[in-house]
Amino acid sequence: MNAVTAVIADDEPLLRAQLRSRLAKLWPELRVVHEMENGRDVEQVVAEHAPSLFFLDIHMPGVNGLEAARAVGKRAHVVFVTAYDQYAVEAFEQGAIDYVLKPFNEERLSTTVARLKERLSSGPPPPIEELVANLAARLGGKASDHLKWIKASVGQSVRLIPVEDILFFQSDEKYTRVVTAEGEVLIRKPIKELLDELDPEQFWQVHRATLVNVDAIASVRRGMKDQAEIGLKGSAETLVVSRNFTHLFKQM
Amino acid sequence: MNAYAHLLDGLTLKRAALVTLLCVWASGITVWFFINTYFDLLVSALCVGYTCMVLFTVATNLRQARVPQWVLQVLGIVAGSFLGTVLAGVVKGRDLSMMFSERLFGVLVTMGLGIGFGCMVLWVYIFRERESRHAAQLANAEAMRHQLEKNVLEARLALMQAQVEPHFLFNTLANVQHLVETDPPAASQMLESLIQYLRAALPRMREDASTVGREAEMARAFLEIHRMRMGSRLDFEIDVPAGLADRPFPPMMLITLVENALKHGIDPCCEAGRITVRAREEGGKLRYGVADTGLGISTKKGTGVGLANIRERLKTLHGCNARLVLEENEPRGVVATIELEALAPQEAMAPRREARVA
Repeated sequence: MNAVTAVIADDEPLLRAQLRSRLAKLWPELRVVHEMENGRDVEQVVAEHAPSLFFLDIHMPGVNGLEAARAVGKRAHVVFVTAYDQYAVEAFEQGAIDYVLKPFNEERLSTTVARLKERLSSGPPPPIEELVANLAARLGGKASDHLKWIKASVGQSVRLIPVEDILFFQSDEKYTRVVTAEGEVLIRKPIKELLDELDPEQFWQVHRATLVNVDAIASVRRGMKDQAEIGLKGSAETLVVSRNFTHLFKQM
Repeated sequence: MNAYAHLLDGLTLKRAALVTLLCVWASGITVWFFINTYFDLLVSALCVGYTCMVLFTVATNLRQARVPQWVLQVLGIVAGSFLGTVLAGVVKGRDLSMMFSERLFGVLVTMGLGIGFGCMVLWVYIFRERESRHAAQLANAEAMRHQLEKNVLEARLALMQAQVEPHFLFNTLANVQHLVETDPPAASQMLESLIQYLRAALPRMREDASTVGREAEMARAFLEIHRMRMGSRLDFEIDVPAGLADRPFPPMMLITLVENALKHGIDPCCEAGRITVRAREEGGKLRYGVADTGLGISTKKGTGVGLANIRERLKTLHGCNARLVLEENEPRGVVATIELEALAPQEAMAPRREARVA
């Protein structure tokens, strides 16, 4: 039988070295053929070394352990390595995939080694797609595609303003006013683009030229000619809701 | 038509019933002074009353800022009394031309009574309006106080929870575990930094105040640990002038900025990066923050709990005198700075002393 080969991926060099030395003690026949700092280049590593095992740290910069496991697929057995993840551990307990916790406990690691030996002899790696998707969901899921920050030049520097601090956007001929409780800045991005990029649940268009943060609305009053007026928290300005958008407030 | 519908806001059945009752009562009183029958007076009173009611409601709902609202309301009542009296004449089948010649006195009396009772009602109305506005203000202030108290509690809770991240702790211990076997002096150095960090981080949950210097030491221990763990990928500098070290500064805010710089700046960017912790006093402001040369903020990525928590705490502790500013670093990365009103150490720690004896 050929020697079993493994790849270790962890962004911390000392922890890679530690796992390597622990494995050398517990499983002398295992050959660690490659080490990775993150989950990139899985394809290349598989092509070059065709390892039978991957030890993947879940939290790695760039491509993390879950994404790397997806790339590995059924071409090798995967063991996840993690320092602390209550949710991850819960998910593992139900799954067919093994995991080890850092700092390493010798007894625990030898159980893993025994299990791996058994699995390697019994057949091909189990499908992991479902478990990885489950884990990814538990670990915080995906970021939404909406704009979360506005970049604005203030003097020499570029200020980053979180959108939740913004009371409203209003177009002002060439520019767009970005108004917060602390003041206002001008940006070049037009209302139309902002409308596409911002979270539509958080920012409502109430006028051709105005997007308002729903959380900043303090009051809505009916005004003349089918219009309405919005009073804001943190600003004395009022915003006009034009006729086309008054339906947003109809139930009030 | 809809555009003017709001002018009749408040014209409810309840209001109409009140006016009717008032007319019944007023006619009852005035019937003793006139030769008219009660029914005749009641018809006049109702005509005047309803007309005044409608015009008063319109006057109340007119949106304008030129004249005080009560002036319009009085005008509404005067006009209502006049029109109402004319209306009463029409209802009773009187000759209108006679109303403005022989019967002018009677007309004026009816109008006067309308205006008198109307203004009485207006007075009560304004008084009650003011009362309810006052009550609303009180309720509002109360709600704000509650919100503030809630914020303080939440901030304290978040602070307690954010003390030591288990990930950080276990990863560091795994490093120490390995170093003990391979490089004992390095292991002891890392342990020392960990102890220093824990000592600084743990008691904070009971304290509301810290200093610039203590926060800097904590950041140093934290960064030292990460530098050892990340190898050549991290470089850092603590640039805090000795003169500022004693300045009061809220605990655990700087470390959150350092953590963010590592987690969102240096970590995801696979090349080496540098973190600078810098404190400065400029123009009466204390600026204390963290600059990194990492990935920079992706405009699509959320701000996270950490920054929102800092903002909330700054607002709770310092109101409008403090803020968190985020800027792009040159050529890349982020600068996050907390800006406070600069206070001398004694001023914040103890009440100002009495004038010194010469």
